[in-house]
Amino acid sequence: MIRAYHVTKRYGDVHALRDVTVKLGKGEFCYVTGPSGAGKTTMLKMLYGSVTPTEGKLLVGGVDISKLSRRRLPYLRRNIGIVFQDFKLIPSRTLSENVGLALEVLGTSRDVIDRRVNAVLSIVGLRGRGHEYPMTLSGGEQQRVAVARAIVNDPSILLADEPTGNLDGAMAIEVMEILQAINLRGTTVMVATHDTGLMNRFPFRKLRFEAGRLVES
Amino acid sequence: MPQRLQHALRRAFRSLWENAYLNSVSTGVIAATVLLFGVYLSIQFNLNRLVDTWDRDIHISAYFHPDVPEQRRFDVRDEIAKRGEVQQVRYVSAEAANAWMQQRMPAMEAILEELGSDTLPASLEISLTPDAARPNTIDDFARTLSVTDFSDVDYGQEWIEKFEGFLALLKLLGAIMGSLILIAALFLVMNTVHLVVYNRRNELEIQKLVGATDGYIVAPFLIEGFIQGLMGSLLALLGLAAVHRLLVERLKDTFELAITADLHFLPGSYIAALFIAGSILGVGAALLAVQRFLSKVS
Repeated sequence: MIRAYHVTKRYGDVHALRDVTVKLGKGEFCYVTGPSGAGKTTMLKMLYGSVTPTEGKLLVGGVDISKLSRRRLPYLRRNIGIVFQDFKLIPSRTLSENVGLALEVLGTSRDVIDRRVNAVLSIVGLRGRGHEYPMTLSGGEQQRVAVARAIVNDPSILLADEPTGNLDGAMAIEVMEILQAINLRGTTVMVATHDTGLMNRFPFRKLRFEAGRLVES
Repeated sequence: MPQRLQHALRRAFRSLWENAYLNSVSTGVIAATVLLFGVYLSIQFNLNRLVDTWDRDIHISAYFHPDVPEQRRFDVRDEIAKRGEVQQVRYVSAEAANAWMQQRMPAMEAILEELGSDTLPASLEISLTPDAARPNTIDDFARTLSVTDFSDVDYGQEWIEKFEGFLALLKLLGAIMGSLILIAALFLVMNTVHLVVYNRRNELEIQKLVGATDGYIVAPFLIEGFIQGLMGSLLALLGLAAVHRLLVERLKDTFELAITADLHFLPGSYIAALFIAGSILGVGAALLAVQRFLSKVS
């Protein structure tokens, strides 16, 4: 599902990633871990096309990111769900509208959007709360909304950048359980985190970065 | 209606409502710009109409040599009357011309009597058909009049040419001023739209992250720009109608009916042009503002 061949990313003279080669299969769950500044976020950003490799080749679902045009980028992202540490929810929109956004950009009809949104809100434990606004929710609930938005269009890859970073222990576990459940449905999940406790509780493959180098895979 | 258009319309109207103040500013700037254009077009339209009227009223006064016999004068009149571009020819004898002069200028009666009844020459007053009554065609026509019969031919050509020169200058100044106003308005509206975009930047970034195309993001802004353009144009036209009405009332009081009867409001084609200009301004500014934002977002 994801294949990186000697991928390097430089910002001027600074190496964010150095010569990374890795493969990730369909339905796999893995962590991207390492200390701050190791290159975790850069790796994830590259996978959803926010930054492009300086060198090397990066294939996501068979698409070569390094050669992807700006015009084709939205179509890649429609196949990738993304969850951020700061949730990235729109405060002025209801939970249903936030989650439905990922379907709205596809031109999906209102009926289908409503049906799908209700279904994923049930999956993340927020059934019947679609009319509420993000600011009325706890951090854990907001992150579950973000997860719901990431999976509403049934993507083949789910990328989560420090999804539990702003959550306390119990809420972090709830979110991880949801991500695990999504993975069990066949979605490839990649979670960037440096929370060793969580990685021990949910043991999966680790891609460990240090100073931009992949030191453990 | 396609789903994408429905979504875009819904988002556009929602944004118009949520950013009511900034959208009002954009609409106001468009209205002011279209109003300025409307005033300029009104002036130009009415001056053009005035010149057209004058063109139609132009007639040629051809003055006979004193030694041309009267019968020859009638023959010349009849020959000219047969020409296709001539609408009407009237023979004015020297006596009739003098009588007219005395009637118009009674204070000069004594001087005119002393000078004799042949002070003013006999003439032909020639009116041309509307098609032929243009400065250049009149000029051509005047040249065809026989120099052996006429001592002088007068048709106010110089004055009309000067006025047409003034109109051409007015058009040029209008084009220059119009372009500057348009650029300034585009800049103002673009920056106002940019503020709306800035207000919604997080939302737009999220849309990009979930796979929205540039078209999906731009579409509601274009609809908003179009609506602002239409509303701005409508306000401008209402303002223009009020100004026109006020001007006609004032002129009516000052100059009586003669001038005000010639003041016309803009015709349908000009009004349509103003609506189109307002819409293009709204849509163009929105497009430039959103494109500027999109070029910075990955």
